Amino acid sequence: MRLYSLLFLATFLGVSFMHSQNKQLLYDFYEIPQSLMVNPGVKAMEKWHVGVPVLSGLSFQAGTSGVTVNDLFANDGIDFTTKVRERLLDVMNRKDDFSTTSQIEGFNVGFRGRNRPDDYYSFGMYGETDIIVYWPKDLAILAFEGNGGANIGRSFDLGDLSLRGEMVSVFHFGINRKISNTLTVGARAKIYSSIFHFRSTKNSGSFSTTEGQNNIYANSITSDMQLQTSGIDGFLDIIDDDTSGNRRERLERLFTKKVLFGGNLGLGFDLGFTHNLNPQTTITGSLLDVGFIYNSKDIRNFTLNGSATNEGVSIVLPDDISNTGTDIWQDLVDEIEESVPFNENESGYISFRPVKAYGSIRYDFGEGKTKTTRRNCGGCLVNNVSRPNEDFYRNSVGGQLFLMKRPRGIQGALTGFYQRRLGRSLALKTTYTVDKYSFSNVGLGLNLQAGPVNFYVLADNLLAYRNIADSHYASLQFGFNIISWNGN
Amino acid sequence: MQRLFFNCFLAFNCFFVFFGCSEEQNFDQFDDLSVTPLVASSIFYLESDEQFINTAAAFGNFYTETFNFDAFNEQFVAERLIEGTITYEIENTTSKRLDIIVEFLDEMGNTLDFELFEIEPAPSEMQTIEVPYGPGGKSLEILAATSNIRVTGNNLGDNTSVSSNEEPKIIMRSAAEFLFRLK
Repeated sequence: MRLYSLLFLATFLGVSFMHSQNKQLLYDFYEIPQSLMVNPGVKAMEKWHVGVPVLSGLSFQAGTSGVTVNDLFANDGIDFTTKVRERLLDVMNRKDDFSTTSQIEGFNVGFRGRNRPDDYYSFGMYGETDIIVYWPKDLAILAFEGNGGANIGRSFDLGDLSLRGEMVSVFHFGINRKISNTLTVGARAKIYSSIFHFRSTKNSGSFSTTEGQNNIYANSITSDMQLQTSGIDGFLDIIDDDTSGNRRERLERLFTKKVLFGGNLGLGFDLGFTHNLNPQTTITGSLLDVGFIYNSKDIRNFTLNGSATNEGVSIVLPDDISNTGTDIWQDLVDEIEESVPFNENESGYISFRPVKAYGSIRYDFGEGKTKTTRRNCGGCLVNNVSRPNEDFYRNSVGGQLFLMKRPRGIQGALTGFYQRRLGRSLALKTTYTVDKYSFSNVGLGLNLQAGPVNFYVLADNLLAYRNIADSHYASLQFGFNIISWNGN
Repeated sequence: MQRLFFNCFLAFNCFFVFFGCSEEQNFDQFDDLSVTPLVASSIFYLESDEQFINTAAAFGNFYTETFNFDAFNEQFVAERLIEGTITYEIENTTSKRLDIIVEFLDEMGNTLDFELFEIEPAPSEMQTIEVPYGPGGKSLEILAATSNIRVTGNNLGDNTSVSSNEEPKIIMRSAAEFLFRLK
């Protein structure tokens, strides 16, 4: 028992080092029920499935397109400030990001319609956290080097500040329909309950120090910046409240309330399809999280808008002789604050979910033993053409494309994969993915079916495990399900 | 079946145990991070035309003003200032010999330090004077305690002559470049 506990702990500790929104290993891995979550139109094989609560689908992803932990914190004897300058400030640009995504399924259930056996219904709930912070290059240089010295005349782009993050619980219901032997389509409706959200993505402006018109330097700022937050103040209020002793309970109550429709609500949908071009070639596609959340509760927004130029205190005689005795320094400060006011408001706003799209082409080959067994499974008559061809072919090879809307544009990934089925109980999928995080991302997925019990584990960027601290990207997904197979 | 799952779990964890490596990391290095930006800003600008000097300088002094200046003694600045330079640029196109005194005063009005600039009449070149603070220069305490600046302008010549230059003026520019330790 102790060994089991240790193994389980090791699994979770391992997970904590990994990351990615792109679920290229899970995509079109139709032996796994959770593949419905990345393509509602996947060729569903099950008669029904029930995910083991909380353990049916866990995925953790974390990535950096620039510096790695090892780049900065390796015990290599190099001065840390030098490493920050050479490996962070001099190398990373405004398109580099730090991101993390995690998803935990609360429950996931699917069943085939008794009266409409071509339809596979699935529903459930999961929680998702997604945070992306772009490297604020100019602001970092301004903080590190300042506006003086060699930076006189340089314009610092305030638009380099771009970040977005949220935690949502998602309640979903999907229908997967087999239209014909060659086409399956699916759709999933989603209700989002936002736990917290923040974004500061549409910033613009600049700060520069140049030769002044009158004085030696002129500091100029033009700013159109905004940080929108929802759902954060409620938690902060409880944390800051020293008068109450049951802080943890109150935090848990607020969290639970927000998970169960008590947060800011939104709607969304997923779409997907699978189409067999011929018995061995299949194309698929899906569009996920087309939706929005209306943030109207617990809002706190911050703005910094305006422009100002400062050349210090100015006294021009004889015009300013009457200003004797006035607090001209404070007047200058007030004037700047009036020109570039820092304001707060509680205006509601709409936030859009990060839309994701997948597409793939798969070629099956390598005939296995022909299975002609027909099963009588009640409502599976329409699908009683024995096991589908995919089951007959033991190998699959293909390519996948992943696109995701990010604050600074579309982020893409290209994947080549090979899948091997070893009997009915074991399937392996290996992938090679190229994206902004890595050019050497080799992943491996395993799906194990032992009777009705299904276990899967999908791990990305395996080569990086030679030195995990030097990895730009890591991702792990795993889960347990109970499955009753359809006879088709 | 239990054994099958156990074996899979074991294989999975063995992978991370045997193949999951990491070079030695030292996160305490963050304490060694040194962030020292050089911040530049103008301080004050003084301009007076010759006509005003002639009119106002009955007793030599044509301008005295004390103004509040808390930029240096703001807690953030005072605690993080490492060193810096205040640069003065003086341009005189008037016909007069002048001096300008810049005094740094504390909250009580006591003079902490001062700079005296003696300015020759036109034609004279623009003077640039750099006053360092911190190691090798004046004490940073002067800046940290400065709450007011008093600027005094004295006419050391007559109050009737007029320079042949177009729009004769005395101009004093000043700016600071300070090195701060943020971390």
